Amino acid sequence: MNAEEILNLPSMPAASPSYPRGPYRFIDREFMIVSYETDRDLLREAVPEPLEPNPEGQVMYEWIRMPDSSGFGDYTESGIVIPCTFQGEPVNYTAQMFLDDEPPISAGREIWGFPKKYAEPKLEVCSDTLTGTLHYAGQLVAMGTMGYKWQRAPGGVEAQAKGMAKTSCNLKIIPDVNGDAKICQLVAYNLTEIEVKGVWLSPARLQLIPHVNAPVADLPIKRVLGGKHFISNLTLPHGRVLFDYLKDA
Amino acid sequence: MKKSDVKALASMPLQSPTFPRGPYKFFKRQYLVIRYTTDPALIRAALPEPLEPVGDTVAVQWLDLPDGEGLGAYSATAQVIPCSFKGEPCNFISQMYVDNTPPLAGGREIWGYPMKFGKAVLKVNADTLTGTLHYATQCVATGTMVYKHDAFRKDYAAEKERLARTQITLKLIPDIDGTPAIAQLVAINFEDVVVHGAWTGRARLEMVPSVNCPLADLPVRDIVGGLHMVTDMTLPYGKVVHDYLA
Repeated sequence: MNAEEILNLPSMPAASPSYPRGPYRFIDREFMIVSYETDRDLLREAVPEPLEPNPEGQVMYEWIRMPDSSGFGDYTESGIVIPCTFQGEPVNYTAQMFLDDEPPISAGREIWGFPKKYAEPKLEVCSDTLTGTLHYAGQLVAMGTMGYKWQRAPGGVEAQAKGMAKTSCNLKIIPDVNGDAKICQLVAYNLTEIEVKGVWLSPARLQLIPHVNAPVADLPIKRVLGGKHFISNLTLPHGRVLFDYLKDA
Repeated sequence: MKKSDVKALASMPLQSPTFPRGPYKFFKRQYLVIRYTTDPALIRAALPEPLEPVGDTVAVQWLDLPDGEGLGAYSATAQVIPCSFKGEPCNFISQMYVDNTPPLAGGREIWGYPMKFGKAVLKVNADTLTGTLHYATQCVATGTMVYKHDAFRKDYAAEKERLARTQITLKLIPDIDGTPAIAQLVAINFEDVVVHGAWTGRARLEMVPSVNCPLADLPVRDIVGGLHMVTDMTLPYGKVVHDYLA
């Protein structure tokens, strides 16, 4: 294998790259998002400067079922997203993500800095209840429930598609071979080619269990605001650097 | 979190870094190494230049890692291709499969260990030291070796030399636009190696072709033999020996 072939590889290992080059297309990507209010001081602590957390103390706990994802396959994800602002612009900061498939873990971390770990999330309809669970290292750490297609969301699929075009951002940290930071950036991306097939609201409940390596409960629930369920097709493109800690901080 | 604290994080995520800073010490790290000969043309194709092939023997190894500081308890399977870099004998780690995020993410992000998620098991089944690897629910490799047939050997010089050999990985990390940000050959040398025991003996290896876990792409011609070891060691940081972007 020569230098040109090596530089054309999308990822490690050379023998069978974990992930191809993007963008990545997702079909029938199903979300359940339970929004809740948490402690504002803890939220400030969980959000890296120069991002500013939303003043209402709102957190979104998500489950995402991805049955058909180009390059990545069939998997499920669960985690925490915090609405923030960057220099006044609204952005969604992804704080924690847990999933059951290695290529999107590696691609997520290495390309965009999605803070992904391996775990066992599930999103399924259990009789009348849309149910999300997350097991980490054998233990249940999160359970969310909402009514099944209880009420169509006001604004419908158009409003939801517009909302999903909002900028998202991650803290990307890649160490150098000596352990020092080689890449330390806030990166941003915007989903494209979004088609929403349905969006529903309902009351919801959420249980988060303290766990050191899956610390979803570190932002405790003061009050559950509600649940949202939607199904979509979308494209995840490459991103851009918003802030470089090694150059700008 | 303040910017200065962000810069000091060992890894993502901010709220629970996946791996701490190294070095990483391992206790009772157990190996089953099965060496075999394969097609030299396939070895050449699998080795990144400027690494040069040495002979036609490669190895598949199973590791049981019950106590890795900062990393926990897990198992791994790896394919290793002996080679040379500027005349120095090295081992190129071409594929690696683990069942635990900290070594998977830390391995890729720090050194470029070519890790994917696979379910490796190394255990003694009755009279047989047995390694299996499942990838995406399918069994893709089975290695078997006789159990401690040469039980009274005390000289582990050959094993220590083997473990001291420089490992080379190909570290590839894309930039945010998908183009390469890091493309390096990284050299790693274990430190503080202790060999608690080492045994050689007959072995067999079966590999099943699988596109995302292509161990069988270096097919078995002849089995050279099996090596079973129990060791302690420290995995330190690495050094860049070749930069494809420089």
